[in-house]
Amino acid sequence: MSGQSKIIYSYHRRKTYQNRGIIAALAGALVLAALISLSVGYSSLTFADVIRIITGSGSDNEILVLFSFRLPRIVLSIMVGMGLSAAGCLLQGVTGNALADTGILGINAGAGLTVVLYVLFFGTGSMLAVFTLPVAALTGALGAALLIYLLIRKKTGVISPFSIIMTGIAVQAGLSALMTLLVVKLDDTQYAFVSSWQVGSIWGANWHFVLALMPWLCILLAVIMSKVRVLDVLVLGKETATALGVKIQNEQKNLLFFAVALAGTCVSVSGSISFVGLMAPHIARRLVGPRHHVMLPVCIMTGALLVLVSDTIARVIIQPSSLPTGVVVSIIGAPYLIYLLTAQQKYHERN
Amino acid sequence: MVKMDVIATKQLELAYDDKSVVDNLNLSIAKGKITSLIGPNGCGKSTILKAAGRILKPKSGWVYLNGSDIQKLPTQEVAKDMSILPQTPAAPPGLTVWELVSYGRFPRRRRRSKLTAEDKDIITWALAKTRLLESAAAVVDNLSGGQRQRVWIAMAIAQQTDLILLDEPTTYLDMAYQLEVLELLEKLNRERKCTIAMVLHDLNLAARFSDCLIAVRNGKIVAEGTAEEIMVPEVLSDTFEIDAEIVRDPRTGKPACISYHLREERTGL
Repeated sequence: MSGQSKIIYSYHRRKTYQNRGIIAALAGALVLAALISLSVGYSSLTFADVIRIITGSGSDNEILVLFSFRLPRIVLSIMVGMGLSAAGCLLQGVTGNALADTGILGINAGAGLTVVLYVLFFGTGSMLAVFTLPVAALTGALGAALLIYLLIRKKTGVISPFSIIMTGIAVQAGLSALMTLLVVKLDDTQYAFVSSWQVGSIWGANWHFVLALMPWLCILLAVIMSKVRVLDVLVLGKETATALGVKIQNEQKNLLFFAVALAGTCVSVSGSISFVGLMAPHIARRLVGPRHHVMLPVCIMTGALLVLVSDTIARVIIQPSSLPTGVVVSIIGAPYLIYLLTAQQKYHERN
Repeated sequence: MVKMDVIATKQLELAYDDKSVVDNLNLSIAKGKITSLIGPNGCGKSTILKAAGRILKPKSGWVYLNGSDIQKLPTQEVAKDMSILPQTPAAPPGLTVWELVSYGRFPRRRRRSKLTAEDKDIITWALAKTRLLESAAAVVDNLSGGQRQRVWIAMAIAQQTDLILLDEPTTYLDMAYQLEVLELLEKLNRERKCTIAMVLHDLNLAARFSDCLIAVRNGKIVAEGTAEEIMVPEVLSDTFEIDAEIVRDPRTGKPACISYHLREERTGL
């Protein structure tokens, strides 16, 4: 390597170290947030208590609270945060629109609709629901995505990012209305279930749900991590990406499918949580820049942290009852969206 | 059989949605030469370049790259033979110059995740050629328009292809940088035998640097040939509807348009 290469490269190596530092800090924050989350709640435990119980000397009751109630909920929050933020990152990369998010685009609503239909026909009682519900939600999410695709499809195959967002918002509104219509048909228990689902309660807080979600999440995250370099090139725009030899339409379709699958499966256990897929990629880009091999992991960790912290706040803020997680995420997310919109406007005015 | 030009089109028809832009176009770009497409706004020159670069799919007809139908070639393989500089490329916020230029190596290192020492040397070479070594760590969107344009050119040449397509590579550049970019392309052409095909707005620069000019109007080729053949009042009148005064540039010896009027039938408008 030439001397000049070395000088330039040393700068980027410094950046790599900095990025590793950020990843380590996020991991630390996640562990800390998980420990705090374990210790707060209806029966409050101290930090020392939590450590004591984890290391194996707690009472049966304490072990039950910690490992059967709180821990699965924490693990689920982390997983859902990972999945939704990754889905948001993919959508933003593929559509080239920084405001893309599975919640805003109606993909969550599509999943929601099939969840309601499922509950309407099969009830909520059966254990089978744990494993079939993700499939139902995925079908709904794919249906919504397909609907958006059919509405914006043009003969030339050129899809403008703007039309994706606008059509997505319309589809989201339509599906939500349809869902409200169906809710009228539900009996009391079904209604309670669906309404808590709609506001994004991490309702299935037990290990079965962790188990049901885990394989989906692992496979999908592994697949998209192998696509980071394609994503890097895709965000350069259609023409440049083609020039660099990316099969745009194929890659777009695949990545959209992965995004929809991630969102659908996560939403089936968490309920409709918006804004995570919007916020996490932005925060990640701010922290480590736009290259996906670092940005995507940082985005996933940020998403996990966001949902975990929101869920923790949701559990403690109005004790002894609790707020739905999705509401807390939205309380944080809505101002962030407004901030993004104004920042984007300023950026356009400047350029 | 199509003759072995680097790019050749046969009965090419191009359209946006249902609006036809180009119809029955037979164009060829000779290997090892610098070819410029010239013509008025909206004449279809950029559209033709897009089709040549497989960015726009033809409505009918064929584009051949080295004799093979470009639509049937794997796009990744095409990227090893041809690099393209689009008209208004955009970099994501926060990306550094070095990082963007490194994407030029993407077609050749899809499966490998790390840049090799050779890749790094090529990137450094591309940065040196475009005089961007000092700005290597700068963020692309903080640069001036001219510098930004050079970054994209650096990315295109880092692809190290034998054919480079450029859509108005001198837009946004001030006069010195325009020359610099074209001289760089000329050097690549002479030293590395790169075939260059581009859309250029400036007639005199096109005449000065091109081996072959193709004048386009309404999606049709009006004339093609050397600068001496194209830079004549008749052709410019047919292409641009102008009445041009052509002289020899005393420094380069190339024809140059020093003054022009609107053709008579347009003056009354």
